[in-house]
Amino acid sequence: MDMRASLNTPPFVELDAVSFAYPGRAYAVRSVNLQIAQGTFHSLIGRSGCGKTTVLKLAAGLLGPQSGQVLLQGQRVKKPSYAMGFVFQAPTLLDWLDVLGNVLLPLSLHGRVSNAQSAKALELLAQLGLTELQRRFPQQLSGGQQSRVAIARALVTSPPLLFMDEPFAALDAITRSELQRDLITLFRQQGVSVLFVTHDIGEAVYLSDQVSVMHAGELVHQMPVDLPYPRDSALRYTPEFNDRCARLAQAMDRKI
Amino acid sequence: MRRAWPTSIALGLGFVMAWELAVRLGQTSPLVLPAPSVIAQSLWLGLSSGYLWPHIWATTSAVLLGLLLGGGLGFVGGMALGESPTLRRVLMPYVVLSQVVPKLALAPLFIVWFGFGTLPIVVMTALICFFPLLVNTSTCVQQVDPQRLELFRMLQASRWQTLWQLKVRSGLANVMAGVRVAVVLAWVGAVVAEFISASRGLGALIIGAQGSMDTPLMFAVLSVITVLGLGSYQLTHLLEQGVLKRKQQTP
Repeated sequence: MDMRASLNTPPFVELDAVSFAYPGRAYAVRSVNLQIAQGTFHSLIGRSGCGKTTVLKLAAGLLGPQSGQVLLQGQRVKKPSYAMGFVFQAPTLLDWLDVLGNVLLPLSLHGRVSNAQSAKALELLAQLGLTELQRRFPQQLSGGQQSRVAIARALVTSPPLLFMDEPFAALDAITRSELQRDLITLFRQQGVSVLFVTHDIGEAVYLSDQVSVMHAGELVHQMPVDLPYPRDSALRYTPEFNDRCARLAQAMDRKI
Repeated sequence: MRRAWPTSIALGLGFVMAWELAVRLGQTSPLVLPAPSVIAQSLWLGLSSGYLWPHIWATTSAVLLGLLLGGGLGFVGGMALGESPTLRRVLMPYVVLSQVVPKLALAPLFIVWFGFGTLPIVVMTALICFFPLLVNTSTCVQQVDPQRLELFRMLQASRWQTLWQLKVRSGLANVMAGVRVAVVLAWVGAVVAEFISASRGLGALIIGAQGSMDTPLMFAVLSVITVLGLGSYQLTHLLEQGVLKRKQQTP
């Protein structure tokens, strides 16, 4: 287990025997139990259609479970809240707003943006290397830049909890690993807890403190990733890293 | 594109010159087809004597009022219909019915209801402007990227915020296309309504000129209507570009 998570405190996020079926279909998620400790990075990995995105949406309150419950700091989650940020599979930027406008959207939607909030947004843009692009419009950005804007938007309200749904799936390998490297720094700085969905074993091992494997709507395996921080790109080529990847691949293969 | 407009103007001038020449050589009666120079004279006389201006103003104000009334109601109704499937199922047949009824055939009825004067013209114009805005707005409200809807749910946007800041905003190009159609139809609607039920306005003037066999004046009024229609279309286009400017920026 992660060293920072004390055994006495309740988990930050808890999914308690959560099940869900889309109307008129079989269960997409069956009796999933999941605990995320505060400030940790938790990945859900599995094949397409195994229900991992559904789990993410259940945890975020975008979907309501048919049975079981989702708890955030002991409180039942019924709908999305300010404590959560969500990064979708596609960047989903609004093309009539510039980069800064998109990042500020979660705030501007609900009223005037204060100077402190703008400063926070600019700081995030700087951390994600977007300062020069703040007046550009989404269609003028590359795919990787758009993903960065989407991440900045999710973090602008300083949520303690972040959900990410394969945000890098559409990016090329080099852009993806750059983003992963920047993310790992950013998240540890901000102390965010993250639930991250991916089908990429290397990505899961590199980013996570904890990885859960899903298969056919069920959680079938959990594995802590006890690799030291700071994790830089060189870590990917060490035997320790490859060992974790191999164990995860085995866990996934067992379930074919 | 930049090269096209001189050719376009030359074509127009060539057409007018050929017309002038044909009338002069063919000795056509000005009652049937007056020469462009005669029409221009009639137009100048009408404008300089101040005879045309009250009529221009009457039609323009009817068009503006009708556009505002019909377009506004169409826009609001479109948002309502787009948001509520129930409302759509209940009301859409009647909306379509109101458009299938030949509106010009309603003009005599409007005279009975609203009397002679501006009101029946405005109502007729509004009825014509209503439909394009209604259809385009309700379509754009319904066609929203589901992922963006999910984003707005995640951001805890209210129904009104989602409608106004997402659905209408992302469909603005569609709404503006509806406005453009409505603007063009508005002039047709107003002028034709004036044929039937007005004592003032450019449509009434055409009927009056026909009565006094003043064909040059008919052509002059026709050209005024054309210029007004073109002008308002261009204005709408400029407005549209202003509104959508940010969307059209390219790298």
